[in-house]
Amino acid sequence: MEDLTSHPNTVHGRSYAVPEPSDEALLGQFADGDGAAARVLTERLGPRSYSVALRMLGNQAEAEDVTQEAMMRLWKMAPKWVPGQAQLSTWLYRVTLNLCVDLRRKKRPDALENVAEPADGAASVVDQMQDAARKDALQAALEQLPDRQRQAVVLRHIEELPNPEIAGIMDISVEAVESLTARGKRSLTAILAGRRDELGYEHG
Amino acid sequence: MADQDNQLDQLFAQAREARDVFPDDLAVRIETDAEAVRLARSAKTPRRTWRQRIDAIGGWSGLGGLVAASAAGVWIGFSAPTFLPDPVEYFVSQEATYLMADLNLDENYLEDAE
Repeated sequence: MEDLTSHPNTVHGRSYAVPEPSDEALLGQFADGDGAAARVLTERLGPRSYSVALRMLGNQAEAEDVTQEAMMRLWKMAPKWVPGQAQLSTWLYRVTLNLCVDLRRKKRPDALENVAEPADGAASVVDQMQDAARKDALQAALEQLPDRQRQAVVLRHIEELPNPEIAGIMDISVEAVESLTARGKRSLTAILAGRRDELGYEHG
Repeated sequence: MADQDNQLDQLFAQAREARDVFPDDLAVRIETDAEAVRLARSAKTPRRTWRQRIDAIGGWSGLGGLVAASAAGVWIGFSAPTFLPDPVEYFVSQEATYLMADLNLDENYLEDAE
C-alpha cells in the first residue's frame, strides 16, 4: 500500500515533507469542485470501508457494493459536513457497518434457500464449507459471533482502532467496547478450538 | 489456552496483512460516482451555505460587528444624543408644514395642464 502520509519534495537539493491535507480538508476541496481530492479520499478511506465490510459480510461482491454505497453517501454529504464534529473515518465506518447490518437483515429470510444442492460427483456442501473455513478460519468463526461482538472485534483487532474511536463508531461507552471485544475474543477462541476436529486438522 | 490465544492472534495478524487489498475496479467505480456527484453539483446554481455567507462578511467577528453596528444605528435613530438633530422630530415637523390645502388644487387643474 502506498504511503499517503508523506510525499518528500526536493528544492535546492534539500528534501522536505509537505504535510498532507486532512481528510476533512480534502472533503471540503471536493465540495468546492476539486475532483482530484475525491481520488485521494478514495485511496485513503475506500480500503478501510472495504476491509470492514468484507469481514462483516464474508462476501467480496457484497462488500464492494457496500463500500461503493458508503462512499457515495460521503460524496453526497460533502457540502454539509461540519468540520471538527467527528473524524471522517469514524463517520464512514459507522455508515459502512449500518449498511452491512441492513444487507444481512434483507438476506436472512432467504439465506437458506440460496444454498445450492451439490450435483452428483461434485464436492458436498460439507466439503465446500471445510474448504472455505480452511481458507479463512477466522472469517468462519467471526460469522458465528453476534453482530455487535463481531463489529467490536473487527474494529479493534483487524482495523486496530483505539477503543474511544470504536465507542464513537458504535455509539456506546468505552467500557462496553472492552466488554464486547473481550467476549468476542473468548467466543472466537472457543469456536476455533471446538472446530479443529470438524475441520480435519490433526492434533499435535 | 495460551496456545489458542496465540492462534487467534496469528489469525488477526494474517487478517491485518490482507486488509489493504483493494480491488482496482472498485476504486474506479467509486471515483466515477464522485465525478458524477461533482458534475451534478456544479451544474446546479451554486448555493451558499450559511457558513460561506458568514465567511463572506469576515467570519463570526464580522457578523458580530455588523449586528452591533445595526443595533447602535437603531438606537441612535430612536434616541438621538442631544447634540444631533432628532430625525424623527425632523420628519414629523416637515410633514406638519405641508398640508393638502397648500397644494391649491382645484377641479380644473387638469385642464390648466393642457
